[in-house]
Amino acid sequence: MSDNARPLPTVSPDNRPFWEACARGILLLPHCARCDDAFWPPSPVCPHCLEGPPDWREASGRGIVSTFVVVHQPWFPAFKDALPYNVAQIQLDEGPRLTAAVVGASNNTLSIGLEVVAIFEERGDGVYLPMFRPRGTQRD
Amino acid sequence: MPLNLTDQAAIVGIGASQFGRALPESKLELAAHALKQALNDAGLTPGDVDGLAINLGWPLGLDYDRIAESFGLDIRYVVQTWTHGRFITMCLQSAAMAVATGLADVVACVTACSFSQNRGLLGGPHDVEGYREDGGTHAEAPQYGLTSPASGAALAAQRYFHLYGADTDALANVCIAVREHALRNPQAIMQTPLSLDDHRNARAIVEPLKLFDCCLVNDGAVVVLLTSAERAKDLDAAPVYLSGMQGMRAGRDEFIFAPPGLGVNQQQPGRGYARAADQAAYEMAGISRDDIDGLYTYDAFSPLVLFVLERFGFCGPGDAPGFIADGAIGPGGSLPVNTSGGLLSEAHISGWNSIAEIVRQLRGQAGPRQLPAPAHLQWATAWGDSIIFRS
Repeated sequence: MSDNARPLPTVSPDNRPFWEACARGILLLPHCARCDDAFWPPSPVCPHCLEGPPDWREASGRGIVSTFVVVHQPWFPAFKDALPYNVAQIQLDEGPRLTAAVVGASNNTLSIGLEVVAIFEERGDGVYLPMFRPRGTQRD
Repeated sequence: MPLNLTDQAAIVGIGASQFGRALPESKLELAAHALKQALNDAGLTPGDVDGLAINLGWPLGLDYDRIAESFGLDIRYVVQTWTHGRFITMCLQSAAMAVATGLADVVACVTACSFSQNRGLLGGPHDVEGYREDGGTHAEAPQYGLTSPASGAALAAQRYFHLYGADTDALANVCIAVREHALRNPQAIMQTPLSLDDHRNARAIVEPLKLFDCCLVNDGAVVVLLTSAERAKDLDAAPVYLSGMQGMRAGRDEFIFAPPGLGVNQQQPGRGYARAADQAAYEMAGISRDDIDGLYTYDAFSPLVLFVLERFGFCGPGDAPGFIADGAIGPGGSLPVNTSGGLLSEAHISGWNSIAEIVRQLRGQAGPRQLPAPAHLQWATAWGDSIIFRS
């Protein structure tokens, strides 16, 4: 991979269903087939009861910003034109927290509790990343 | 009944190279200097060293095999962890177990770094740890431009601020207190005072962290020698005993740079006072937390100081900023933290500079920054491991 390209996610047998669904504009989460809980990160078995394989189900795509940062350091040449840019953890309504970015909001309006919904952004090579845009409301 | 390791192993020699930025010496040369000084300190020879415990191997440090062949050591016990500062406690614990059980007579913990030349590994396209499936160990997500351990500390700090109403001045007070210690240490890289305005005006690295919230990027080496309590009696230096210890925590409620309950990654939210599991080292040492005369921690990023104080119960959840603002962790405070200046202001030798400082303090050799007759000093990290030392 060139240093001048934005990195792509590392796809493995465990998370492939997630990334394949992103390319179709769908956010999937692994659920335990026995205890029903959604979990993250993807794993061949449920972290609570070791049941597997997981049952991949469509998520609501809704959640809140649970924490965020604003990157100023030019670590990646390929992100230099985006500086300063945000990266956030999103607590999905189903429970798991994903690390992603918030789009459609300026960095100084980001806040913990901001309600967001998933959209998908093409990154090349058929890879789509989930991003989150504000829904205009705030939760405690 | 498990084997009792209390006071069964001791540090008997310490050595350090010069600490600095862009030093001309190789890692091996820095390490050779520190090793010779540590052997001289202990009254030992290279032939006495038969164990190595390493937590910073290639590409950031020196691997055990290169150390052994370069310094002519005949080694029969080795532990080398994944190349991370976080495993410093595990190295010391493994060394203590090895000398207490006879797997080795003298274990050398050899750490040399040339971070000045390895900047490209500390964030960006060549920081390969971030590429682990579904995120690096500090929550790195390179596809979103999130990289470097600093980012994980920033994620945790932002959430902490939200929960407790603190802001970046809470971090500034950590940096200022640690800098005040460094000003009493001529070996420290940072030798000028740090003001609140300096911190407020510093450039942002990854908000909410600014320049001074991040450890030094530097070069240097430290060597620490351990042997059994029995053998230590016959050596030159006053032994510093490992009295109590507890290991690193891991699980779904753990994130390397956040105390349990903060709600980073998959941590269940809901913070409480320090858990019994985080008090085991005191029990093993036969003391209580109130007996600790100074705390030493892996201050790679300033929020980690808040988190370690709360994790071990020196402060309740959200109380660390007030504790620090009252002067508790600086020189003359009720709980001095990182009295040589830590990773923030002395040097980043993967934490080993603070271990050497613990030894100097307990021997009464800390010069102008000597604590008044410390009996117990604690090494503890935000991720839950700890060792309690006594002279």
